[in-house]
Amino acid sequence: MLKVENVSKYYGTLKAVDNLSFEVKDGEIFGLLGLNGAGKTTTFRMIMCLIDDYTGKITLDGKKIDYTMTDKIGFLTEERSLLTKMTVLDQVKFYGVLKGMNEEEIENKLDYWLDKFSISEYKNKKIKELSKGNQQKIQFICAIIHEPKLLILDEPFSGLDPINVELFKNIILEFKEKGTSIIFSSHRMEHVEMFCEKLVVLVSGKSVLSGYLKDIKDEYKKKNVIVCGDIDKKKVNNLDGVIKVEKEANEYIIKIKDSSYVSKIFKEISKFDNITKFVVEDASLNEIFIEKVGEAYEK
Amino acid sequence: MKSLLKKLVKPMKNKLKYLTKISLNKKIKTKWFLIANICLFLLIIGLVNIDNIVKFFGGDFEKTTDILVIDNSKLELYDDIETYYNEYSKYIEDMNNTRISLYNYDIDKAKEEVKNDDSILLIINSDSNNFISAELVVNNEIDPIISQIISSSLNTVKTNLALKHYNISEEMLNSVDMPVNVVRTNLDDSKSTDEMMDLVMSVAFPIMILPFFMLTLFLVQMIGAEINEEKTTRGMEIIISNVSPKVHFFSKLIASNVFVLIQGIILFLDVVIAIGIRIFIGGGSFDNITSELNLSGVIQSLSETGFINNLVYIIPITLILMLLTFVAYSLVAGILASMTTNIEDYQQVQAPIIIVSLVGYYLSMMAAMFDGSILIRLLSYVPFISALLAPALLVLGQIGVFDILISIIILIISIYLLFKYGLRIYKVGILNYSSTGLWKKMFKAVREK
Repeated sequence: MLKVENVSKYYGTLKAVDNLSFEVKDGEIFGLLGLNGAGKTTTFRMIMCLIDDYTGKITLDGKKIDYTMTDKIGFLTEERSLLTKMTVLDQVKFYGVLKGMNEEEIENKLDYWLDKFSISEYKNKKIKELSKGNQQKIQFICAIIHEPKLLILDEPFSGLDPINVELFKNIILEFKEKGTSIIFSSHRMEHVEMFCEKLVVLVSGKSVLSGYLKDIKDEYKKKNVIVCGDIDKKKVNNLDGVIKVEKEANEYIIKIKDSSYVSKIFKEISKFDNITKFVVEDASLNEIFIEKVGEAYEK
Repeated sequence: MKSLLKKLVKPMKNKLKYLTKISLNKKIKTKWFLIANICLFLLIIGLVNIDNIVKFFGGDFEKTTDILVIDNSKLELYDDIETYYNEYSKYIEDMNNTRISLYNYDIDKAKEEVKNDDSILLIINSDSNNFISAELVVNNEIDPIISQIISSSLNTVKTNLALKHYNISEEMLNSVDMPVNVVRTNLDDSKSTDEMMDLVMSVAFPIMILPFFMLTLFLVQMIGAEINEEKTTRGMEIIISNVSPKVHFFSKLIASNVFVLIQGIILFLDVVIAIGIRIFIGGGSFDNITSELNLSGVIQSLSETGFINNLVYIIPITLILMLLTFVAYSLVAGILASMTTNIEDYQQVQAPIIIVSLVGYYLSMMAAMFDGSILIRLLSYVPFISALLAPALLVLGQIGVFDILISIIILIISIYLLFKYGLRIYKVGILNYSSTGLWKKMFKAVREK
């Protein structure tokens, strides 16, 4: 289990991380969210031992993370961290040996993963000859080849097509099943929603929202009503409890203050013609994120 | 505590070894290393065998230069001149291509021949004050060695005339000419007193200085390229999350210095092979080189003064200074590379390193001109310059072994300080991707423990 307790980090007078606390249990996927410059990378760097001049405590399975522990951590950086002049085999061996593996073991595991990602033919190709998506797969293999106890994924789906996103997703879930603690960061909220059970949202290094995703959504009272039919947008907009009405393709998304207004709105909507759909949904993480981050900035 | 140390140290040692191996392989197991060394090999062979190569492509190398002698002195001096000329010229190989003969026709015809055949016309006239005088007529320039031999032959002939004229026996002349025997005693054994040292400086020292300078460039560039490659690709974050900056820094220092040693050994082997080829093909024997550089004379003179014996400590001391200087250069290069964010920036900051190295190079070449200079002596203690300047001054006898030891001690202290404070900069620098407030960050890093 990863435990981050009251961690703060200053760059000069700038407080990059402000009293941040969270924990990621074994087999849990945790989302670390925030705008650019919110303190995500600094947090990752502190967990990875790249920064050691911080206050607070970061432990993995109860032990302070140092160079005896980093072999248990897999790290996929947002930017490409591959040495482009190396071949795929040499690159994975390089990072694998730094994780304490032996070269033979690495090669065997690499064959498995290359096969799984259907890129076996690139084993002896130079990294620079690979497409962006395939480079991302190699980077991902480098992060998981030593079967880490803690896996940090910073924008893992960058440059991937939907099929490969699905492939990555399945592998990440496999690791979760095996008990790996996973920290996940992305600007794509649908990806975070897809995986994360727990999350923290950072604004200027400070946590503005944290907890289990389900609880966060439950606490967030605003709901979305999805309607298909010939409604009068203006009339609906003026209904009690309606915040705003948006049209997306053939559907209307009616944002309401909370679920207590649903029955009244349903009555009104049913008066319109050709109503084929009326569904009440929780607000998306994206909406919650925008609102919480926006509020924090206003403060 | 002990088990924790064991747990941390052993894997780190393995990772250090592995990082060093990877860095070296990246430099050595490349086609460019092979190509560059093949080019250097061919270049060295070419330089050592340049005379054979020039001859191989042909040309008028066998052309004989005629020296036509018109003797107007009425003293019948030609036979003596011919004897002395041949005697003096037989020690010089190229002089086989000259032929001296008495010219029996008039001067105008002789001048015509000089114009047409590039011959040399030597006209000897009698001189009431000086026994004989001579005029040398050439079409354009004259080989200075030929001119020197003609002049020496004429002087000897004139001396003989004077001996006869004043009734002086050869024995008497020899005793007059005999130089005063001066026995030199040097109380400081470590200092050289031989004038041939200037020649050693001009011939032998560049053989050491140029490869050293070249290897320094290789070293500085290798570290810069390595660190910046890892920084620009952000691979550095993955590496530093697994090994400490200290281990990473060490791996770069070891790899670059081992690389320079390997490259130095390859260059040395290139020279040995090139000389072997020269001896094997025979056409231009190795004696040519030694005779052209007058090395045999130098070696004999050096041997007499005991300089050759002094090489027993001069060579190891110079090598120690050079190796330590490589370490110092690699430390500075590593620190600077960690501060830059890409290879282009690094190429700019490496310029001062190259300039310092050049200063040492020029000072060592000019050392003989400033005999006794306190400034030059003090500069020989300065790290980075000392590896070039101190051995030069030692060879010239301007400083002694004690001074070299001071240079080595200062260099070791500098390496220690560079490592101690440089590591702090390195630790911050390698994960810094912005040049904003760079110097402030670095000074802050130096101050922090």
